Formats: sequence, C-alpha cells, structure tokens
Amino acid sequence: MNIKLSEGSGGREMNSLVRDFRKILKVTGEWKHTDNDAAIVKINDDEYVCMTSDSFVVDPIFFPGGNIGDLAFCGTVNDLLVMGCYPKGLSLSFVIEEGFPKKDLDKILESIQAWSKKTTIPIVTGDTKVMEKGKLDKIIINTTAVGICTKEEIIDREVERGDKIILSGGLGEHAVALLSKRFDYETSIKSDSAPLVEELTMVKKQIKQAKDPTRGGLAATLNEFASKYNAIIEIDETSIPIKKEVKSVTKLLGLDPYVLACEGRFVCTVGKDKADDVLKELKVFNKDAAIIGEVKEIKSKKPEVLLLTKIGKRILHEPSGNIVPRIC
Amino acid sequence: MSSKQMLAKIAELNKQLKKSITIMEVCGGHTNTVMRYGIRDELPENINLVSGPGCPVCVTAQEDVDNVVELALQGIPIATYGDMLRVPGTKMSLDDARSQGADVTIIYSADEMLKPENKKRVFFAVGFETTTPMTAFLLSKGITVYSAHKIMIPPMKALLDDPKIKIDGFILPGHVSTVAGEELWKNLGVPGVISGFGEEQILHGVCLLTELIIINEKKIINDYKEVVFKEGNTKAKELVEKTMKLCDASWRGVGVIPQSGLEPKENKLNAKIKYKEILKNVKSKEYKECICGDILKGIKKPTDCKLFGKACTPENPKGACMVSEEGSCQIEWRYRK
Repeated sequence: MNIKLSEGSGGREMNSLVRDFRKILKVTGEWKHTDNDAAIVKINDDEYVCMTSDSFVVDPIFFPGGNIGDLAFCGTVNDLLVMGCYPKGLSLSFVIEEGFPKKDLDKILESIQAWSKKTTIPIVTGDTKVMEKGKLDKIIINTTAVGICTKEEIIDREVERGDKIILSGGLGEHAVALLSKRFDYETSIKSDSAPLVEELTMVKKQIKQAKDPTRGGLAATLNEFASKYNAIIEIDETSIPIKKEVKSVTKLLGLDPYVLACEGRFVCTVGKDKADDVLKELKVFNKDAAIIGEVKEIKSKKPEVLLLTKIGKRILHEPSGNIVPRIC
Repeated sequence: MSSKQMLAKIAELNKQLKKSITIMEVCGGHTNTVMRYGIRDELPENINLVSGPGCPVCVTAQEDVDNVVELALQGIPIATYGDMLRVPGTKMSLDDARSQGADVTIIYSADEMLKPENKKRVFFAVGFETTTPMTAFLLSKGITVYSAHKIMIPPMKALLDDPKIKIDGFILPGHVSTVAGEELWKNLGVPGVISGFGEEQILHGVCLLTELIIINEKKIINDYKEVVFKEGNTKAKELVEKTMKLCDASWRGVGVIPQSGLEPKENKLNAKIKYKEILKNVKSKEYKECICGDILKGIKKPTDCKLFGKACTPENPKGACMVSEEGSCQIEWRYRK
C-alpha cells in the first residue's frame, strides 16, 4: 500500500493514518494530549510545558491576505494558543527547491518577522535545506512552538449539557482566498490567517474547549468535540457566519464551506451562563463571531453533530476524501 | 416563497394527484441539494424524487478507465480532473497507477493543459454539455484527448423507454442548459423544469412539475432564467461543433447507447485512435456486485446496494457513484443518517 493524497486532507483517512503512526510510535512518556494539536507535560507543581509541530506545503505560496510564512507562524502559535498556552519561542525550518527566488524567500521571512515582532514571540532556532530542482514544489516550512503555562490556563475543562458553541469569525475565508488565486477569480476575500493571541488571552479562562478549524474545517472540529465527550452537538445553519462572497465561490466550485480550512479562527465551548459575555468580548476582535449551537447531550451512545437547515435536520459528518489539496 | 411555504404548496397539490408520481433530478448537483436538505423526506409520499444519470464521473464506463490506466502504465503522460483518479478500473484506478510510478496529473481547469509541462499529456476528458466546450477549446489548440464526453438527451430518452421505471417529469440540469440552451429539451416527451441548485429553486421546480403533471401538459419551463437562455451559449456550441463529432458511447452499468458520446473530429488528436495498438488488448470487467448501473437509472437507491457503506465508501470506493462529489452513493453517504 502506498500513501494517498487524501491521507493528508484532515479527514477520516488522515485520522486513520495517524492512528497507524501511533501503533508504532508508542512511547509518550509523561506527556498528555499527545493526540491533540499540542501535547503537554508537567514540569513542576505549578507549570506545564506545551509543544506543537507543523508543516506547511501550500499552493500557491502567495495569496490574497498572506503567504506561506504567515501560515507557518500563525498556524503554529494557534495550536498552542487553543490549548491556553502562550508560545515562548518558535523553531523555523525550510526545505527549499533549487532556483527558488531569493526575493520571495525574503518576503516570506519578512512576514514571519512582522508577526514575531507584533506578538513578541521570537524565532529561536531553525534549519535550512535546499533540494535539487524538481524534487519538491518550491518550498516546505516546518515549525515547532514551545510554551509554559499553569494548570489554570490550560483550556481543557469538562463539557456539560447546554454548553454553547461559539465560532470566532466567518468560515472559509482562507480557503476561498487561496482557491480564488488558484483559479484567477477576482474577490475581495482575504485569508483570515492571523495569530489568535489577543482573543484567546481575553477569553481563555472562561471557555472549556477550543480548537482552530484548520484542515477539515468546522465539520472536523465539531466531530472531534463530539467524539471526545460522546456528545450530541446541534448547530443552527442560519447562525453560522459565512460571508456572501465565500458562499458564492464555494457554490461555484461545488465546495462545502463546513469542511474548508480557516487559519485565524477558533471554535470553543462555553458554559451557557458565560456564553453571551464571551461572545461580546470576541465581537470586539471580529464582528462576525457568533454562537452557532449547543451541546445537547453528553455521554451519548451515538455522538454526532446535527445541523439544523432551513428545511430539516441532518448529520454533519467528519469529512473524508480529498477536500481541497494543499491549502495549509 | 420560503422553503416551508413551498412544501405546504406541494402538499396541497399532492391532494389533486390521482396516483403517485416519479420525478427525476438528472444532475448530481441537484441530488446534492436534495440530500443536503433532506428534501426527499419532506415531500408527500406520492411524490417520489429519484436521482438520474447526470454525474459525469459516475457514468464513465469501466473500459474507458481501464484504457486510460493502460496508457498511463505504458508511459504516456495523462492529465485529468481530480475525481477521475479514484474511479476504480478492472485492475486498478489511475490513482493506483500513479502510486506505481505512472505520470498522471490532476488539473482543476482545462486551460492548465496549455501550460508547457502539460501540452504533451493526453487529456482524459469527461462531462456533459457543460464541460465539453472546454475540451473543444483544447482540441482547437492541438491537445490530444481521450474523450469520454457524453450528451444528456440519449440516456434520458432511454430511461423513458425503460419498462423498469416510469418517469413523469424531469428536474432538468441548470448548467447543461446554460450551455446547450432551453431548446435542447424541446422534444423530451414528458414535462421538465430547468432548475437552479438552491433548495428553494428545487422545491419550486417540484411544485411546477407537479402542476404540469396534474394538467398533463408536457412542456418545458425555464425556471433558471438568470443564466439559461433559449439558444444557450452559441460560441461554446460552435466550438464543439467545429472540433468534435457524435459517436456511440459506453455508459457504466448501462452499456452502449448509440450516438450518445462525443469524440475529436481529428483522428490525430483522438487518443483512442492514436494509441489503438496499446489499447487493443485491454480487457474490462465490471465489478459484478456493484449496482451503479441501476442507481444511475434511478431504479435502485444507493442503500439498496449491499456494498454501500461497508465494502464501498468514499475512502475505498468500489463503484464510480461513490467516488464523485456528484455521485448518488457518495452524496447518500455524506448525508447518511
């Protein structure tokens, strides 16, 4: 058997491949959450180290609202931020194709530098390799982020029935910006790629679970929540923020916005009494933030995500297949 | 009218029906909306909505897949649309051929074929009236094509003649009509409504069709006037006329339907002729437990297939209807209950 493209798309096939990895790579030591975006380990009575790693292979590498460098920085720090941990530093490694324009590399580095300066998260180490022309497609970036946090800061609290689900901004903007570039469509949509530093710092003590809906999109994220708590989650389609232009482009291309990647959004669960406050705080950063649904049941025998449509109700399944290749 | 109001109107019309009726939505795009919104469950029992043969990936015959796999394995570089890679052939899919080292590339848009690195490739082309003009354009630029293009009317007529299913009306494909024009459907023989792809548009189509069926009027209504015109896209049609000609075509699970396909006019750009020496020994055999043929004809539902969701899933499809986003089986799987 050989690896197929769909095994990297963030859906069922990828999860199954990762499960296969874990059958071989069994030693996890004292680390917890090793099946999550970021793993944590206790280092003393009060503190935990949190660590994540990511690779970026986007095509095209420059797109409306950013480039592969923005994605690398934001995608990596977001994986720690959704765990409640502020990154202490980042590693940054490049594999570059021979013949890659130096000025493009500089642009990528400048984007990373700009975020690094803005968030005060330093780039502390890295590596560079160059491969023969034709042996890879332009450039691959690999990153690691490490941070230290206290137990109270970790966003991993028990989910209860009645908890609300909040989405921090509009869906599908990153994917649509990228696809528009790929197909030469003119659109005003820009990638949402951004570090979630301020908004998560603001609400992290009030929310119970958080995750950035990157590959596999909202559908994958909600299904992950559902299976973690054996929960039944109900989402109201009419409350999900999707920009009109995103709707049009996804319709045109026959894509489902619920499975498209975001690079600067997060989904969280919040106790119902705190939901309005959290929403109000998140709206300061993005007016499209919305309560999109709630946890109907926990410890259910049939965990699932239900979507209320204009006509009826259907299950929102975990995505599968090649959703859209190489957009993050 | 909102969707709920339209459903109420359909329920009213239903009272005037003397017998149960069958409406076929021909296009996979329509099937997707129907399933996404659970429209079938919301319609009265007497109004059956069945899916038709409008998914271009699904109707592509096994022998066409096998032929292109053979070309790829023999070292001829291929380009095709993403979904075609995973359609199972007798021995393997193009995706399998690729993981064995064959040079098969995915294109998202036909003009990618004009890039220098793709010009030498054989373009494995599929689709109905909607996508044929893009292939015609490539033929006008000298690209070699393996054509599995098909036209919509012959299978629909064949279905109307099929004793196993009685179709009272069609929801007609919007995009096909954009290119081919309203006039394509003029001699259909049953009522038809050209519809857009939103849930409200489809429900409106069902409404109009039910009305036509009640008064027994076999006319065609264009309910997608924003993009569908009487004569269609004449420039696109001319280009097809100039570069392609009708031919007999093989349909998955159905067999050969005379004059239902399109192939390049110029033999030197027709991969089936150009590489006939390579292709003459290819043997095809359809997977016998797969009922894609009956599903495409609306005779059976995906859930009637014993492979559905077990041996056959989108990750590991056994039949073409499970591969494509527009395939009835994949749609049924995506919105399974």
